[in-house]
Amino acid sequence: MENIRDLMAADHRQCDDCFVAVERLVARAAWADADAEFDRLRDAMQNHFDAEEAILFPAFEARTGMSMGPTRVMRGEHDQMRELLDAAKAALDARDADDYSGTAETLLIMMQQHNMKEENILYPMCDQQLATQLETLLAQLKNGISGAMK
Amino acid sequence: MPALLSFDQSPPLAASLRFFLTAPLFAILAGILLLWSGPDSLASRWTPAVLALTHLIAAGFMLQVMLGAMLQILPVVAGANMARPLRVATLVHGAITFGVLFLGAAFLTFSPALFKLAAILLGAGISIFVASAASALYGIASPSPTIQGLKHALAGLTVTVGLGVAMSVSLGWSLDSPLLQLADIHLGWGFVAWGAVLLAAVAYVVVPMFQITPAYPDWFERSFSLSALAAVALWTIAEWLQLDIAMALLGTVVVALAVLFAIVTLDIQRRSKRARFDASQHCWRVAMLSASAAGALWLAASTLTAVGEWPAWPLLCGVLALCGGFMSVIIGMLYKIVPFLIWLHLQNQGQQGRVPAPNMKKIIATRDMDRQMLAHFAACALLLLAVCWPVAFVYPAGIALIVANGWLLLNLMSALAVHRAHLKKIKQVVGAP
Repeated sequence: MENIRDLMAADHRQCDDCFVAVERLVARAAWADADAEFDRLRDAMQNHFDAEEAILFPAFEARTGMSMGPTRVMRGEHDQMRELLDAAKAALDARDADDYSGTAETLLIMMQQHNMKEENILYPMCDQQLATQLETLLAQLKNGISGAMK
Repeated sequence: MPALLSFDQSPPLAASLRFFLTAPLFAILAGILLLWSGPDSLASRWTPAVLALTHLIAAGFMLQVMLGAMLQILPVVAGANMARPLRVATLVHGAITFGVLFLGAAFLTFSPALFKLAAILLGAGISIFVASAASALYGIASPSPTIQGLKHALAGLTVTVGLGVAMSVSLGWSLDSPLLQLADIHLGWGFVAWGAVLLAAVAYVVVPMFQITPAYPDWFERSFSLSALAAVALWTIAEWLQLDIAMALLGTVVVALAVLFAIVTLDIQRRSKRARFDASQHCWRVAMLSASAAGALWLAASTLTAVGEWPAWPLLCGVLALCGGFMSVIIGMLYKIVPFLIWLHLQNQGQQGRVPAPNMKKIIATRDMDRQMLAHFAACALLLLAVCWPVAFVYPAGIALIVANGWLLLNLMSALAVHRAHLKKIKQVVGAP
C-alpha cells in the first residue's frame, strides 16, 4: 500500500537528481542549460515545500495538536532552503561558479539532513497518525508536488 | 514520541567543536613523539613509543572526533536528544583528554600511578558518555540500520574501553592478567566492533547524502553491524579459550567483514552523481582503499609464512587501518560537518536572512582543504615508509604528521575565525547578540 513516506521520499530523490544536473552543467560552464535546469530544481523544491506546508503539515497539526513541534522546525528549514535557493540563483546569474558551488554544497547538506528528519521521523509519524485520511491526502500531495496546485 | 518534542534541539555548537579542535593536537603530539623517540621506537608494536603513539591517534584523535560527532548525530539521525549535552560534552571531553595524556605518558614511563589515573579518567569519561547516549537512545525504536548500528557501536565502545581500563588497572595495581591476549581482543573490539560499526552506521546516511550515490545494499545495511559484533564476540571467546582453528577462522571472518564494508563503500562511491570529487570524497576513497589493504595484509600474514614472519607487517597494518583508514575518513567528515555546523549557527543567528551566512566554502576554502588533504596523504605514505625503513623515514614521517595536523587545526581555527567575524557583523547590523 502506498504511503506518505514513500511518495515524499521519491520526490526528494527527484529534487536530488535536478540538483546534480545543475551542478554538472555549472562544472562544464554550460550556463544557459544550467539556468533552465536550476529553474526546474527550484520549482520542484518549491512545489514540495508548498505541498507540505499547505496540505501535509496542517493535517498533522490538526490530528496531533502539535503545531509547535516538528512541523514548525520543518517550516523554518524550508525558509532557510528558500534563502539558499535565492543565493544560488544570484550566483548563477552572476556566472560565479565558485560562489554557486559553495552555496549549492550548503544547500545540499541542508536539504539532505532535512530530508533525513522527514523520512525517518516525520513521515512515518504522518503515516501512522493520518492513516484514516491517507487516500485523500496522497492524492492531494501528488497534485501538489507535481505543481498542479498553482 | 518523547524524542519528537525536542526535534530541533541539536546540541550547542561548542559541544562538538571542542572535540574536533582537540583531535589534531593529539596527532601533532604523536608526530612530536615520533621525532623524539626516533627509528628504534618502530622495532615492534609493543615498544613503549608505539603503544603511546597508537593511543594518541586512536583515543586522542579518532575517539575524540567520533564522540563529538555522535553528539551531533544522535538527535538528527535518531531523534535521540541527550540531556544537558553541553555538560556531558564538558565532562567527557575533559576526562578523555587528560585520560589520553596520562595514558600516553604511562606507556612511555610504565608508571603505575599514571596507568591508574588514565584508567580512572578514561573509564569515567566513557561511562558518562555511554550512559548519556544510551539513555537518549532508550525507548527509541530501531527502524533504521543506522540507529541499530549506533546502538551496536556503543556496545563495541563499552567493551573496547572496558578492556582498556582493565589492562590499565592491572598495570596500575600490578595485578596478574594476560595482557598480550587482552590487547589483541581490545584491538579487535576497537577497530571493528566500535570503529567500523560506527563508521558504517554513519556511512549509510552520509555517503549517499553528501556524495549522491545509491543507498548501501539492503542486505548489507540490515546485517553488517550485528554480524560484525557477533563475529568479534565469537572470536573473543575463541581467543580466550585458545581454540586455534576457531581463532583463525573467526579472526578471518572479522577482518573480511571490515574489508567487505570498505569494498561495498568503494562500489557505491564509484556511482556518485556529483560533478567532481571533493576533498571529502577523496578522503573516503583513500580510507576505504587503505582499510582494504590493511585487511589484505592481515589475511596474507595469517596464511603465508613469509609475510607472517616479516616483522614490519603488524605496524604496517596498524598505520594502514588507523592513519590511512580512520584518520582519512575523519578528516573528510570534519570538512563537511564543521563548515555546515558553523553555517547553520550563523544562519540561525542572522535573523531570518537579514544577514545571510557565508556559504560553506567561504567558511573553509576548497583550496585549503585540498592542500591539507594532500599533506595528510603524504604523512600516511611517509609513516608506511618509516615502518619499513625507520632510519631513513622516521623523521620525515614525524614532521609530516605534525605539518598535516597543524594544517588541519589551522583550517578548523580559520572556520572559527569566520564564525567570530560574522557574529560581529550580525551584531552590528541587527544589534542583537
